[in-house]
Amino acid sequence: MTFDSGQPLPTVLRPPATVMDLNRLGSLTSSRLSFSRSLIRKMARQRWQIFQTRFELDEQGYGEVIYRVQTPYARYHVVIFSRALDDSQRSDRVIAEAWDLTFGLVEGDVEASLMTALAENVPLQEAGRQHPRLLVISRANRSVRNFSTFIDCLSNGQQPPAELLKTAGYLYRTTAVYGNGKFGIADYGRLKENPDFRHPFSAQMSAVYVLRQFSIDQVEHIARCRSSNATGLSEALRRYVGIGNSTGLGMAPFLINHPLLINQWIHMRETALLLAKQQVPDEVSQEQLLSLMDRGLQSLKEVAIENSEQATRNDEVIEQLGLVRVWLQQVPIEDDLWIQLTDWAEAALSLETQELINALLIELYPEHVDVLEDSMTTEETLELTPDMPLVQLKQLIETHLDWAINDAFDTVDGHYWFWYRSIEKEEPRLGIRGVDDGEEKELALAIGPRVKQIHAAINAHLSDAPKSLTIDFLMAHPRQVDIIRRIQTMASSAYGEIRANLWHRDMKPMHLLRAKLSFLGANRFDPRGDRWVRVTFFQGAPLLSELNAEPADLNAFDDWSFALSPENATEKSAAP
Amino acid sequence: MKVSFNELQSLSCKAFIGMGFSDGQATDAADMLCWMESYGLDGLKTLSAALLQYSLQHPYAPPESLYQDSDVTVLDANDASVLACSHLPLELAFAKARARGLSVLKIKRCRQRQLIMGYLARLASRGMNVTAFWRNSQLPLTEQVVGFRANSSVPSIRIYAVSEVPEENKENTGITVVMANHVDLLPTMRSDYEYDLLARHDELDLLNIRSQAQTLGINVDDALWDQLKAFAKLTLVASNVSSRSGAGPAD
Repeated sequence: MTFDSGQPLPTVLRPPATVMDLNRLGSLTSSRLSFSRSLIRKMARQRWQIFQTRFELDEQGYGEVIYRVQTPYARYHVVIFSRALDDSQRSDRVIAEAWDLTFGLVEGDVEASLMTALAENVPLQEAGRQHPRLLVISRANRSVRNFSTFIDCLSNGQQPPAELLKTAGYLYRTTAVYGNGKFGIADYGRLKENPDFRHPFSAQMSAVYVLRQFSIDQVEHIARCRSSNATGLSEALRRYVGIGNSTGLGMAPFLINHPLLINQWIHMRETALLLAKQQVPDEVSQEQLLSLMDRGLQSLKEVAIENSEQATRNDEVIEQLGLVRVWLQQVPIEDDLWIQLTDWAEAALSLETQELINALLIELYPEHVDVLEDSMTTEETLELTPDMPLVQLKQLIETHLDWAINDAFDTVDGHYWFWYRSIEKEEPRLGIRGVDDGEEKELALAIGPRVKQIHAAINAHLSDAPKSLTIDFLMAHPRQVDIIRRIQTMASSAYGEIRANLWHRDMKPMHLLRAKLSFLGANRFDPRGDRWVRVTFFQGAPLLSELNAEPADLNAFDDWSFALSPENATEKSAAP
Repeated sequence: MKVSFNELQSLSCKAFIGMGFSDGQATDAADMLCWMESYGLDGLKTLSAALLQYSLQHPYAPPESLYQDSDVTVLDANDASVLACSHLPLELAFAKARARGLSVLKIKRCRQRQLIMGYLARLASRGMNVTAFWRNSQLPLTEQVVGFRANSSVPSIRIYAVSEVPEENKENTGITVVMANHVDLLPTMRSDYEYDLLARHDELDLLNIRSQAQTLGINVDDALWDQLKAFAKLTLVASNVSSRSGAGPAD
C-alpha cells in the first residue's frame, strides 16, 4: 500500500456526488452527532434527573408506571401502560393494533384527569385521539425469548446469559415513535422554542431512553414477584440492555420529503468530518483512534446478525478494520495522517468501513464537533422564485441535478417500482409497475424522473420563448410547481437530494432507512429483507442511576459508543 | 374534536389530492387553510361551506386570461376556489411587482376568497407589501381589505359595511390584489362615504390567537373531518395479501 503524504489539509467538504450516493447513505453508522448521543450528553451536562413516581404493576408486570423527567427548565413525565398481549397479536408491522406496552412523553404534570385520558387513548395509538400535552407516543413489543429468559434466570437468583443480548440487544423493541402532532399530540412547532427538546427527535429519544430503564425495572419486578430468591440484573448487564426498534418503509418518505433537514444533518456530519481531518494527529489521538477501533471491532465481532448480506458486510468491515489497525500502528505520525487514512479507505475499503472510520475520526474531537449538534435543525420552507429566468432554471438543473437528467428512467428496470400508500394505516409500500394495483395513485417520491421530465419540458418551452421566466413556464405547466420550487430552493443546498432512481429494480429501500436511523443513533442494523430492519438504541449507554448521580467526568460519561458485552466491557476507555 | 396543525395540514393536503389537485396545488391549498385556522380566521368554516356549495370542481383548470400587460393581470377563474386557482397568478403578480415596483392582479369569478390570505402571507414573508380587496356581499354592501407589510406574515384586516350603496351594484365575486415592492399598503380607514367597521384584526391580536391555537390545538367539526378523510382515502390503494408484501415480508 502506498499513500501520498505531505499533502495540504483539506478545506472543502466531500462533494454531494460522493456523499449523497444511496449506497453510501445506506452504509452510514451512528456518530457522536447522532441524536441519541447528543441527548445523553445534554442530559448529563444539564443535570437532568429521571426517577419513578408511580410503579403499579401486578405480578405479571401489567399496569401503569410513570417516570418524571426533571430538566433545568421544565418537568415532563413518561407514562407507560403495560398490558397482556396474546402472542398471535404481536407484530412489528405498522398495521398491528395491539402491543405489549404503549407509552407517551407528557409535558408537565400528570393530573388525574389527564391520566384517565391517557389510559383511554395511548394504548390505542393511531386509533386514539391523543392529548395535546403529549409530545411523543409510541409502543413496543417484547423480545419474547430475552424477556422470558431474563425473568427465569433472575427469579432463580442467576444472571441471564449475556449471549442473548448479542442476538437481540434489548427486552423491548419499539415499532413506531410518533411526534409532531400525530393523532392530536403536540406539534413540533411547539418544541422549536423549547430549550429541552428543540433538537430534532430529542423528545422521541428521551422517551425511548426512559423506556429502556422501564424494561429493566419490569423484569426485575416480575422476577421478585415470582420468587423470594430473585436477584437484580448486574450493573454490567443493565448497561448492555438497549431498546430495539423495528422500522419499515414508513420511514422512507421522510428522507425525500424533508430535503432541507436532510441537507442540514449531512452538512453538519460532513463538517464534523472535515474538522476532524484538519486536526494534526499526535500520539494521544492515534492511541485513542486505535482504542476506538478495538472497541468497534470487538462490538462487531460480538453481535449476531441474522441477515446474511449484512453479516457478510460486517465480516468485511471486521477484516478491513483489522488491516487499518495494523497500518495505523506502523506508520509514522505525520500531519496529514488522517487524510492518508481516509484517502486509502476511499480507494480500497468498503463503504461501510469508510464510513465507520469517518465516524471514529469524528469521535476524536468533541471540542470541535459537539458544537455542531446545535445546528441540526433548519427552517424547511421550499419557496418559488417566479421571476427567475427560465434559462437560469435550466442551468440550475444541469449543474446540480445532472445525475437525474443523465439517468435512464424509461428502461424496464429503470421504472420497475412505484411507491404508494396502502389503505391499511397509510403504510407506504412498493408495487411493481404494470403488475400491481395502485399505479395511478403513485407517490411522487422519485425526484430524478420528475427532474428529467421537467428539464425536457423547459427545453421545449425555451425553444419557443427563450426569454421566459419561471412563472411563464408554470402558467403553462401548473402541475409542476412543487418540483420547480424544490429545484430552485435546493440549488443552494449541497446535500438535500439523494442521488438514486427510486423506481429502479435494484434500488434498496433499506439504504434510506439506515441513513435516517444512523442519524437517530441506531446500531446493530439487522435487515429483514430489503424493506424493514431491526436496530438497537442506547445499548451500552449510561443508566438512569448514573445520570442521576450527576457525573463529574462528562467525557467518560459520553464514551459509550460500540457497546461491549459484560465480559469485555471493562476495556480501557477511549474517551479523549 | 381537537386536532394538531400537522394533522390538519397533512389530512387536508391528502384530501385536496383526492379531489384532483396536483401535489403542489394541494400543499399550497393546505397551507392556506392551516394559516387561516392558526390565526382564528375561520378557514375550516369557509372550507366546509365550500364543500357543501361548490364541490371544488375543476381544480386544475387554470384561470382564463382576460388581459395582461407588464403591470396588470386580469383572469377569470370560472367560479373555482382560490384554493385551486390563485397560487400561480399570485406568483405571476409577485414577479411583476419585483420587476416593475407595483403590480395589480384581478381574479374574476372566484370562490372562498378570504382563504387567499394564507398565500398572501407567504408572499409578504418574501419581502413584498401586499393588499387584497373584495366585496363580501352586495346587500348590505360589505367590503374586506387585508394588508401585509413586507417581511411580516401577519396581516391587518378591516371588514366594513358601506351604507350608501352605489346604483351599479351587481354581484362581484372577484378579488383584487395589489403588490408593491417598496411601499407599505396597509389598510387605513378614511372615506367620504359613511361606513360601519364590522371587524378589525391587528397584528398583535392575531399573534395571540395563534399562540393559543398552538398550545390547545384546533377545533374541527367531526363531519368536516370525516369528509376530508373520505377525500384523502381516494389517494390510498386497497390492500390485499400481495400488496402487504410490498412493505416487506411478514414478521
